[in-house]
Amino acid sequence: MAERPGVYICSGCGIGQSLDIGKLVKVATAELKVPRCEAHSFLCGPEGVDLIRRDIASETVDGVVIAACSPRVKTDAFSFDPLMVLDRVNLREHVIWCHKPNDEDTQMLAEDYLRMGVTKVRKSEPLEPQQDEISKRLLVVGGGVAGMTAAIEAATAGYDVVLVEKSPRLGGFVAALAQRFPTAPPYTDLQAGGVAAQIQQVSYHPKIQVLTSATIRETSGQPGMFDVTIAAESGELKTRVGAIVLATGWRPYDATKLGQLGYGASPDVITNVEFERLAAAGPIVRPSDGRPVMSVLFVQCAGSRDERHLPYCSSTCCMATLKHATMIHAQNPDAAVFVVYKDIRTPGQYERFYRAAQDHPLTFLTKGEIVGVEADGGGRMAATVKDTLVGEQVRIEADLVVLATGMVPNAADGAAIRLVKDSRATLARAEATEPQKSDARKKIADLAHHEGTEILCLTYRQGPDLPAHKYGFPDSHFVCFPYETRRTGIYAAGAVRAPMDGAHAQEDAMGAAMKAIQSVELASRGAAVHPRAGDLSFPSFFLQRCTQCKRCTEECPFGTLDEDPKGTPQLNVYRCRRCGVCMGACPERIISFKNYSVDMIASMIKAIEVPDEDEEKPRVLVLMCENDAYPALDVAGLNRVHYDPSVRVVPLRCLGSLNIVWIADALSGGIDGVMLVGCKYGDDYQCHFVQGSELANRRLENVKETLQRLQLESERIQLTQLAINEYGKLPALIDEFMDRIRDLGPNPYKGF
Amino acid sequence: MSDAVLLQPDVRFIRSVVNGGGGDLKKCYQCATCSVVCTLSPDHAPFPRRQMIRAQWGLKGQLMGDPAIWLCHNCGDCTTRCPRGARPGDVFGALRSEAIKHFAIPGVLGSLLSRPAGLAVLFLAGAVAFGLLSLSGPLMQGTAEPRFEFADMFPLPVLEAFFFALSGLLLIAFAGGLVRFTRALRASGADGPLIAGLIPAVAAILTHRRFGQCGTERTRFYGHLATLWGFLGLAAVGTVVGVLTMAGLLETPLAQTNPLKILANASGAAAIAGVMLLLGDRLRDPVKRAASTPFDWFFAWTLAGVLVSGMVIQFLRLAEAVPWMYVVYYVHLVLIFALFVGAPYTKFAHLAYRTVAMAAAGRT
Repeated sequence: MAERPGVYICSGCGIGQSLDIGKLVKVATAELKVPRCEAHSFLCGPEGVDLIRRDIASETVDGVVIAACSPRVKTDAFSFDPLMVLDRVNLREHVIWCHKPNDEDTQMLAEDYLRMGVTKVRKSEPLEPQQDEISKRLLVVGGGVAGMTAAIEAATAGYDVVLVEKSPRLGGFVAALAQRFPTAPPYTDLQAGGVAAQIQQVSYHPKIQVLTSATIRETSGQPGMFDVTIAAESGELKTRVGAIVLATGWRPYDATKLGQLGYGASPDVITNVEFERLAAAGPIVRPSDGRPVMSVLFVQCAGSRDERHLPYCSSTCCMATLKHATMIHAQNPDAAVFVVYKDIRTPGQYERFYRAAQDHPLTFLTKGEIVGVEADGGGRMAATVKDTLVGEQVRIEADLVVLATGMVPNAADGAAIRLVKDSRATLARAEATEPQKSDARKKIADLAHHEGTEILCLTYRQGPDLPAHKYGFPDSHFVCFPYETRRTGIYAAGAVRAPMDGAHAQEDAMGAAMKAIQSVELASRGAAVHPRAGDLSFPSFFLQRCTQCKRCTEECPFGTLDEDPKGTPQLNVYRCRRCGVCMGACPERIISFKNYSVDMIASMIKAIEVPDEDEEKPRVLVLMCENDAYPALDVAGLNRVHYDPSVRVVPLRCLGSLNIVWIADALSGGIDGVMLVGCKYGDDYQCHFVQGSELANRRLENVKETLQRLQLESERIQLTQLAINEYGKLPALIDEFMDRIRDLGPNPYKGF
Repeated sequence: MSDAVLLQPDVRFIRSVVNGGGGDLKKCYQCATCSVVCTLSPDHAPFPRRQMIRAQWGLKGQLMGDPAIWLCHNCGDCTTRCPRGARPGDVFGALRSEAIKHFAIPGVLGSLLSRPAGLAVLFLAGAVAFGLLSLSGPLMQGTAEPRFEFADMFPLPVLEAFFFALSGLLLIAFAGGLVRFTRALRASGADGPLIAGLIPAVAAILTHRRFGQCGTERTRFYGHLATLWGFLGLAAVGTVVGVLTMAGLLETPLAQTNPLKILANASGAAAIAGVMLLLGDRLRDPVKRAASTPFDWFFAWTLAGVLVSGMVIQFLRLAEAVPWMYVVYYVHLVLIFALFVGAPYTKFAHLAYRTVAMAAAGRT
């Protein structure tokens, strides 16, 4: 607990012209009784900062409240001992820039924020960072281009690497290619295949230990101290690593499911991967009779962008087909190559190769949909194609049909495997009820095929592998947080993360290797990784009061918590990303951070002065995600957009850390309404902690029932999803909510 | 499945289109910007997007009878807007010359005159023919005194017989080609009333109504209009004078004040001005809007040559400039020979093909 908080109020940037600083000082000294309060006209200047530094050095204060601008700015000026208790009261962006100057309501807002800031500091404790012996070795799983690149990049940066490859040889898919499509300017000519130079580099690098024909038997522990058991040719091997790059690549979509495209009907219908093998083996001939190929039909999106098969685009098949067309024409310029596509997708500079390949007089491309592929009776294959650009229904005859199948990630769905395991456990339990058992049986039937697909064999409570995201790829958010999986310290790179070609997989591997390095470096300082990079706080559990309800172990988006046999959570602090979802989940409120706790936020809420009913000044609590919503409100302030000054904003690390007791506290304390602003959730979620806002919404459903029992309107609580670029909408959303609250009238519990 | 059309690309056709001005054909990626920007493209059967892919695929059979290639007036909007540089306008030009070659009777003449070497042969043939004729003419034989009479240069009965025979053969060949073309139009589904459709088609051509809708430069529009009207005027005067002189009702040379003479001179001047504007348009902007192939140049320059030489010999005759008058007359006749013999096989034929296609397509 900070016992001697110092309050430093800045009157610069117009704060002094819009607020009564003297009154603010009085709130701090007379009402809040802080031992030290100073106002300064230029607090972020050297003189102002020095003032704070001197007080800290002389131990006049043991916690600092800076009432000035947004905590998101001037972080360099106001940077003190990172372990010390510090809060920034946002008088500029959230008060004077968006409310009427020298107005009673504006002044009340500033005073409340000051009260809340001082309360927050008083309820915070100095941090004591976690310190352990951290391994900075990296484990790379998969020896294809992505894995080899990650290994080389990390080793070049000075980190020891263990590279595990399941097959006997390095190189992966690319090693088997006769030729590669161009990945460098002018992007018009094929490149030589193979990755011999890279294999050489990896094999002889002093910092890289290569284990081929090796698989992972078990991975336990946490970032900085993963203990990995590897089954290698030489026997079982245990090693400790700090972070893991998962580069297990892809496998082609199972073409046996593509009977309607003729697969299986004739040896002359093959997949693009089979074509690669055919081309690598020698001249391209018909598989059925070994005769030269005079015409080839390529069917693009074979089982891709199709809800019945792979719903997504694999982004490489078009380039592969154009490459195959070029290879066919290099062998025989008089061979006709037909390509039926949904769309030709050649991202970025690859468009140049599309142009080059298209230029051949015997390359024939059309959009279209294959109706069927069958033997034409004369030894050739015939495809019926509808909705083409050439005509409504056409027939194409070819010696060879190549199905451009897409990529399936070589990933396991840890969550699904866990569900199967749990369901089996349910069935084995004597006291399980019949509905429980029938549910378990159904889950086993649906998901049993996931068993045995484990790659990392994690000993995590939440399952033995990474949770799969959309379409089975393990990436947690491909736009905002590429490479980051939902297991801290484990980063996915290459085609296992998203469909991509070799060149992009190499780029990806560099990124993932850097992420893995960041992870071990931050772990060595006891700090969190992205998105709370550098955060030295971590949750602690008052386990005496734990009821083993397992909500925290279930809800943690990152599998941080394991369980002992009784179900008591066991913290793996380096897996933690400090979002506080566990804190919000816990019904016993036994989870807290030194600088973020249920009690702290509850006290801040209580610090809000709630005017009497007859003053007609409603008060609304806005619990705001500090990742997107809070900065959005800053931007609204920057644009000087005004909104109702009756709201009191409390930033949360994540809406998922919402503990419903805060809402109960607020309403019983006379607050008229509670607005929650968090990130968008659902399939295209934007939550930095994957599920936070969704979890908060789920918890709210329970709150609304409680409200009804209390005869309070459930409309007094609202969860709004907001993207950071929707800052323009936020003031209006706040005002709309305020209008609703005014319509509902004051909280009847006001004054109790 | 039975009604599916088997696609069999004709590689020779693709190469021929590519070499005949459609060199960027294969660049098309079917975005249909061309069909959107084209002001003449009809809603129910837009072009040139579809024709582009058919040409890429070498589907000659589907293209030769397609009236769309004749509904285009080559303004170049599609070419300048094409994001891929596929130059649909040029491809259409190449397709038109392919069609003229394809329907030509006899075919061998069609393919011969589609090549620059063949055109050289045509000029050579004309030069030799008229050279030989003039050797047996009264002038060379010394049986006539120079009296500023062109008839003296050639043995008139032979000349007349030669031209009539040639014209007859050419007319038959031309008509035969057009019949084949009409059949192809019908096969491709163009079912406009051919005879009845001719009237609005001719009206549209005479007024250049569709040509004017093209987003083309005005110089090209006026150039083409003046060339057409001038050419028609000259053709009309020529026919009337020819018939009347043969019937003995008229004697040439006509006086400068004769209404027919005035009409002839005015038509000549208009046609010369028009063809000069067209040539200027092509020379100023050789590739940006529309590329010019030997197919285009032959017609434009030969027509210009015929018109200018015709005008020049009139002046030389008035100036009594012997022997220049005869020399230019010889050149004039050789050019006319090339123009007329080439008519069913060269760009000249577009006059007839376009008219028929517009009638058949019901698009005027």
